Amino acid sequence: MSSELTLSQAAPRLATARDYFDLLKPRIMGLVVFTALAGLIAAVGVSGQSINPVLATVSILAVALGSGAAGALNMWYDADIDAVMTRTSTRPVPAGAIPKDEALTLGLIMSGVSVLLMWIASNVLAAGLLAVSIAYYGWFYTMVLKRRTAQNIVIGGAAGAFPPVIGWAAVTGTTPVDAWILFAIIFVWTPPHFWALSLVAHKEYKKAGVPMMPVTNGAKTTREQIFLYTLLLAPVGALPVITGLSGWVYAITCAALTLGFIYHAHKVWRSDAGEPDAGADERKIAMSMFGFSILYLFGVFAAIIVEHGFGLYIPVGGV
Amino acid sequence: MSESAPVTAETEELRIKAQKRRNVWLAWSLVAFVVIVGLTTAIRIQETDFSGGDRLYFSGYMDEAAKEKADREAQARIQARLEAEADQSESAEPSNE
Repeated sequence: MSSELTLSQAAPRLATARDYFDLLKPRIMGLVVFTALAGLIAAVGVSGQSINPVLATVSILAVALGSGAAGALNMWYDADIDAVMTRTSTRPVPAGAIPKDEALTLGLIMSGVSVLLMWIASNVLAAGLLAVSIAYYGWFYTMVLKRRTAQNIVIGGAAGAFPPVIGWAAVTGTTPVDAWILFAIIFVWTPPHFWALSLVAHKEYKKAGVPMMPVTNGAKTTREQIFLYTLLLAPVGALPVITGLSGWVYAITCAALTLGFIYHAHKVWRSDAGEPDAGADERKIAMSMFGFSILYLFGVFAAIIVEHGFGLYIPVGGV
Repeated sequence: MSESAPVTAETEELRIKAQKRRNVWLAWSLVAFVVIVGLTTAIRIQETDFSGGDRLYFSGYMDEAAKEKADREAQARIQARLEAEADQSESAEPSNE
């Protein structure tokens, strides 16, 4: 479906401030900011280096702006498929509130501003990583992967995994193994998180021609993949304890949340979620898993913030 | 807005009002950007030790060799100052006797 057709079908309305806010995908921005903050605080705790609070705030603001910019670029490019899917048809561009050109311009300007702000507030490495993550989501995932391969979420998941690395680099100017462990947690977490949602919305993805896993490989394969990725997340989530990045607070929190995550993934695996004859119960199981996955990510990164930001780091005996 | 939307006096008035609101938001965003850049630059200048080889807007840690060289030079300066102070105190002692 062409974007011209999309815009002519939409009942045009005047944009409100809320529309511009929604263009920046605020819920994704919230998780991005939170994980970047965790990376920043962990870097201070582990390296012993400090960062001026104002510069730290500006760095986090830059990450938020970068996330918003990538979201705007995504909505600009995906306006045609957003219009087809019920869940996304009310977004500002397909709804006719914000013109496509305006979304593109805003995305590009915010990208530049966010990278510039990160550079002046921290260092060129953090700014470079932010630029890469914006390009990864706004161009590589949105324009290259999403409409081409069922592995779009797996490969594209790296875009959302960059924030803690950026936060770490903003403090130290380096990206040690610990920073990439935080990256790995989000990277492995993304497929089961998103596929749980796609089990519910697979008909819409099919209608829009987006090759999400349930559309190309079927619901059963997707449920298996969800369970396998969740099992893989267990050892990856334990890595911070093994390296000594995190202590007891994280270990206990992560263990409890991992068990919960596996429980939900197992329920999804044994269910008929995503099947043509799936009912409300199956939908509920998939959405419960989706909701719990958000709680998981919030919980493990909150544990890192608590340990390194509030002096509650008690080593487990890492290497 | 779609070009096919009917334009009336009422919709035109609403459009102009919305445009004015956007202009105000844009103006405030620009002000915020200028303030943030100014504040950040002031802090960076304050925290940068130009005499020690630091470079503004580039973290000293980006170039370990330059940082080590700057650290060695800073240590040498401190050592030289301490030695000079020691020499001064030694030369001052006989005159007191």
